[in-house]
Amino acid sequence: MISLVAITDASAPPPSAPLRAVTAGSLCAVCVPADDEPVTVDKLVDREGVLEALMEDRDVLPVRFGTAVADEAAAARVLMERREELEAALDHVRGACELAVRARLLGAVEHVAHASGREYLRARVGSSEEARRLHDRLNAIARAAVVRSGPDVLRAAYLVDRPAVPRFVAEVQDAQQSSRELSILCTGPWPPFSFAGEGAPS
Amino acid sequence: MTRPGDREVALVDLVDRLLGGGVVIAGDITLSVADVDLVYVSLRALISSVATAEEKRLMPAMTDALTKEAR
Repeated sequence: MISLVAITDASAPPPSAPLRAVTAGSLCAVCVPADDEPVTVDKLVDREGVLEALMEDRDVLPVRFGTAVADEAAAARVLMERREELEAALDHVRGACELAVRARLLGAVEHVAHASGREYLRARVGSSEEARRLHDRLNAIARAAVVRSGPDVLRAAYLVDRPAVPRFVAEVQDAQQSSRELSILCTGPWPPFSFAGEGAPS
Repeated sequence: MTRPGDREVALVDLVDRLLGGGVVIAGDITLSVADVDLVYVSLRALISSVATAEEKRLMPAMTDALTKEAR
């Protein structure tokens, strides 16, 4: 079995060993021998490192971890059978990366499960006008956004053109410095996991 | 400066993305629900994995978010 790591253009530079490129038409599947051992956090960290290295010199559509096919011929068949969809997905993220933003109310309880009823309510109460404005500003910079529900007043992923990343980050920092009520955390740049199509995390 | 807990959030972001994001090639996921559950259990327990990520110089662009935690 081989694990699929990412979908890229066929024209991208050959990846370094142990990665292998399987090409069909305009697309390439970057693969690695499948590992029979249970998945660990360290393996996920390693995979993220591989994806970030690939992203340095090519557009990358990351494949969900754990995806494996029988062999390189099977990988080529996947590329051919799903060519249009994969080309569209790669085009959607071309030249962009993902930035994740969370904002929570200052003083909000970290571990809601252990909070008193009153603290739980204080953490959840209301939506934040500041958070809405922050999202609007970031959304204006981004190519696309996915907003998720949860205990944070804002938890979102943004697809940002690479040249726009410094402006995006500056916007987040500016919002934090001027915020009266929010604690904001931004992580990334990530490979565009949340914008890969049907695989977007919920 | 990143705050204590920020690195943990970044690691959660990493795991969520790799296991829950990315393009899905239907029918060929080799991870079971139990496998995924185990990862989240070990995520809580393994602070050393954060050190591993930092050793490997991942997540270099974590934004400095100035803290104004209420005292």
